[in-house]
Amino acid sequence: MTLRACAQEKEVAALVLRGQWPAACPADLRAHVESCRSCGDLVAVMQAFQGARMESSRAAQPGSPGVLWWRAQLRRRRAAVERIGKPILGAQIFALSITLVLAAGFVVSQARHGLAWLSWFSQLSQSPTFRLDSLWPSALAMPEWGGMLLVSGLVALALLGGLAVYFKAEKQ
Amino acid sequence: MEHVAAGEARRAAELPMDNDAFAGFYERSARPLWAYLARVSGDAALADDLMQESYVRFLCAARPLDGEVAGRRYLFRIATNLMKDHWRRPAAASIEEIPEDLFAAVADSGQYDSQAVLGPALKAMRSRDRQLLWLAYAEGYSHREIAEITGLASASIRLLLFRARRKIAKLLREPAVAERRLP
Repeated sequence: MTLRACAQEKEVAALVLRGQWPAACPADLRAHVESCRSCGDLVAVMQAFQGARMESSRAAQPGSPGVLWWRAQLRRRRAAVERIGKPILGAQIFALSITLVLAAGFVVSQARHGLAWLSWFSQLSQSPTFRLDSLWPSALAMPEWGGMLLVSGLVALALLGGLAVYFKAEKQ
Repeated sequence: MEHVAAGEARRAAELPMDNDAFAGFYERSARPLWAYLARVSGDAALADDLMQESYVRFLCAARPLDGEVAGRRYLFRIATNLMKDHWRRPAAASIEEIPEDLFAAVADSGQYDSQAVLGPALKAMRSRDRQLLWLAYAEGYSHREIAEITGLASASIRLLLFRARRKIAKLLREPAVAERRLP
């Protein structure tokens, strides 16, 4: 098949696109189109496609652009969160793997030394310096101080709980 | 740390077009895009789906928009790629497998007079030829623009289009030939 484009094609195409074919077409150009196969094909194809485009455009029932805009925003936000979250997840995995390696190393080294440190606990409990009573504040022995400590402990606990709830709610 | 990440995500999620600008662009481009998808695929329901996905991907794309004409060309490119992806999928997703009544169903509605002639002729064409013909003769894109939209080499568009035009012109002039060629 030889590729031969007619020199008049552009002019003919412009007339069809403007909707001026054949009404506003000069007689000599119309006569040319009737005799030129390339221009004849062009007119037939362009008219069919232009008509189809107009009909299909009329038949189209595009939905709401707002829905698409929000869908796009959600998708983009999700992608951004995933993109930003990737290094954090990587750092967490790295930290966990380092911890596991250290823990494994510690266990291996202790196993090699025959768990000698366990004997330290038994020595500690028998030591005269280690007395559980000495760790107990003397104030607890007095009933009025004990109540005060209990109340202040509960208040501190309530404050910390409130703070935790506040931060959790803000995060959500 | 999470607050910082959420803030960054929010900034990164900002679309290149605000809601009002998009609504205007959508108003001007949705119908021609649907027409392209529906005529080339021969499936109105598929055209609905691909059109929605095209707009969402268009908005999600990080590329700057160089005006409405370039934006519209980019939108057609996304739609063309989505259509290609759809055809690549196996079994019933292939355009060659779409039953003829999907093309004929539109013609039966009476609204589509030219479809009665163009529908069978388009169906007898290859999917790539349908895309090229629609972009050139319905949308009026130049060879360079069609190359950008379809991803084909600019130099080959002229020859492909010439052959496709000659073939469909023959089918339009002789509808009986088109009918015979339908699978």
